[in-house]
Amino acid sequence: MSRAKLKSLGIDLPILPTSSVGSFPKPDYLVDARAKFAKAKIERKELEDLERQATGYWIKTQEEIGLDVLVDGEMYRGDMVAYFSELMPGFEQSGLVRSYGNRYYHKPIIVGEARWPGPMTVGWWRYAQGLTKRPVKGMLTGPYTVMDWSFNEHYPDRRSACLALAREIRHEVEALVEAGAKIIQIDEPALSVRPEELPFAIEAMHVVTDGLPAYFILHACYGAFDTIYSQMLKLPVDNLDLAISHSTLNLMEMFRRDPFTKDLSVGVLDVHSHEVETPETVRTRIERALQLLPKESLWIDPDCGLKTRTVEEAKGKLISMVGAAKRLRVEAGAN
Amino acid sequence: MALLLANHSSYPRIGDGAGQQRLRRAYAQHERGEVTSRDFEAIQASVIQEIVQEQAGAGLDLVTDGQIRWYDPISHFAGRLDGVKINGLLRFFDTNFYIRQPVVVDRIFWKEPILLEEYRSAQAVSPKPVKVILTGPYTLGRFSIIESSRYRDVPELVADYTEALMKEVEALGKAGATLIQIEEPSMLHHPGDAGLVKVALTRIGSRKGSARLLLATYFGDAAPLYEALQGFPVDGLGFDFTYSRGLSDLITRLGSDKAIALGLIDGRNTRMERMEEILPTLRKVLPKVKGSPSYLTTSCGLEYLPRDKAYLKLKHMAAVRAEFVGRG
Repeated sequence: MSRAKLKSLGIDLPILPTSSVGSFPKPDYLVDARAKFAKAKIERKELEDLERQATGYWIKTQEEIGLDVLVDGEMYRGDMVAYFSELMPGFEQSGLVRSYGNRYYHKPIIVGEARWPGPMTVGWWRYAQGLTKRPVKGMLTGPYTVMDWSFNEHYPDRRSACLALAREIRHEVEALVEAGAKIIQIDEPALSVRPEELPFAIEAMHVVTDGLPAYFILHACYGAFDTIYSQMLKLPVDNLDLAISHSTLNLMEMFRRDPFTKDLSVGVLDVHSHEVETPETVRTRIERALQLLPKESLWIDPDCGLKTRTVEEAKGKLISMVGAAKRLRVEAGAN
Repeated sequence: MALLLANHSSYPRIGDGAGQQRLRRAYAQHERGEVTSRDFEAIQASVIQEIVQEQAGAGLDLVTDGQIRWYDPISHFAGRLDGVKINGLLRFFDTNFYIRQPVVVDRIFWKEPILLEEYRSAQAVSPKPVKVILTGPYTLGRFSIIESSRYRDVPELVADYTEALMKEVEALGKAGATLIQIEEPSMLHHPGDAGLVKVALTRIGSRKGSARLLLATYFGDAAPLYEALQGFPVDGLGFDFTYSRGLSDLITRLGSDKAIALGLIDGRNTRMERMEEILPTLRKVLPKVKGSPSYLTTSCGLEYLPRDKAYLKLKHMAAVRAEFVGRG
């Protein structure tokens, strides 16, 4: 079903298409430049030139490795929620809040009506897509996660905050579609934290995607998927990207109870480990997924963004992943 | 029906104000070996003194050490027990905060007090009584990974974590701690295990001496367990009202023989509650609570907020009580 949709959008992908979740490690020169920019030691233009240089590097690297659907690598983002909240009217940044150990972040505060300020990611998508003939995904953080990872001083409750954000984020999706993006990934890592709120998270996703001509991937991680799985099938997207490669979930049992009705992106690389998986390890993980779903329904990717790895680790992991997928394609006679 | 103002548990260890980043810097320098453990401890102690005074300055009757020395609510205690190693990061309930997960590799064994010096040093610099916080044995068990053949399941872990907590509580009680808060957020997510928690608290309570025990739950709706909790062997019950629409009506209807810590101020959102959102509940609930003293507090620890907002929440709590006492 979804493969037919991709074809109708003019996208022809091999079986077991490979992709990445979104972020890649920033090269040292960009890390330095971001620090200097934060201290007002360089101009925005200088920073953006380096962000473009790094984006170009990752597009070229993904092509060389042989990935099928590319990402821009998010060289221009610090944090997946802060990036959007810093651009959207209605948000302020709070003081520092601890995340773990000695790690702190500025958590956004919704202080007024959230507003779409005009395209936030379209320029970067255009730039990345202009560097390659392979499809580049549009990348957005979803309304439920933006709501959950922000303080809310404006909306009366979490549902109304989430739906208001969804209406604004839809404008960004429409702008991406208008620019030519055919595959759009919406990141919702917070999706499973409060299972009782999933109905309004689904309602919000309808607001974001309904009626728009694109193949939608929803990326979720950290999941209590066993409790919300059957409801997740109601999400109006074509592909669910679940961080389940290391999960102890009995997917077989879950899929038997409620047959999986979408494409599934299977995270086969552990982004939290420095160890570069061998192609054999990746192959075993893909084969496990192939026991659950037909090869036509599976996409292959890391289980989350690779930004916390070194450049060399990220490349090594992707090389193993693409190698394993290509090998399986050959064996299936579908190169 | 005395109503005291109490800090819940944690407090932001750094802030954005002048001088409030010193612990963050020292932590990084300590990790790189540029600051000695002794100097790092001195900085932690100075931050604890600062935040204890900050809480007292906001008008609180009961303060905490802010859990400034704790990496997180799980690994700080569990990781100091024999038989337990510490593993990678795991999300703490539905927050965006991560704990390090204990791995039980051998028999869980308490060999010496873990929080005693932390309590003594905080009390020594505090103008107000210091409440001691302990994560309960059930929640510790739920977050642990079993890698020892000695244990088959969570109840077996809970039994030995309880043994450790009994000794810790005994040491704290003897040192003069007047109020010890046992936190069991995991129980709300596994209400069928409430009996296990009750047995554990019975054992812990047998060692408390003259200290009072407060069972705190949060990050979930305690209403379904409310009647059962009235039969638990503790002096007080602490509730997170932000997750429960029905709890205040339930307490009003059924009353409470135990003191209650009323977590009516949201510890996870920066918005300051309006008086009319809090006062009617206080007026409704408090006359039905026989146990005394009860406490007005936040729904959970304050480390989920930035420092400036955490302080404002405490000040706001004091204003709510003043309004409540003033007009009744």
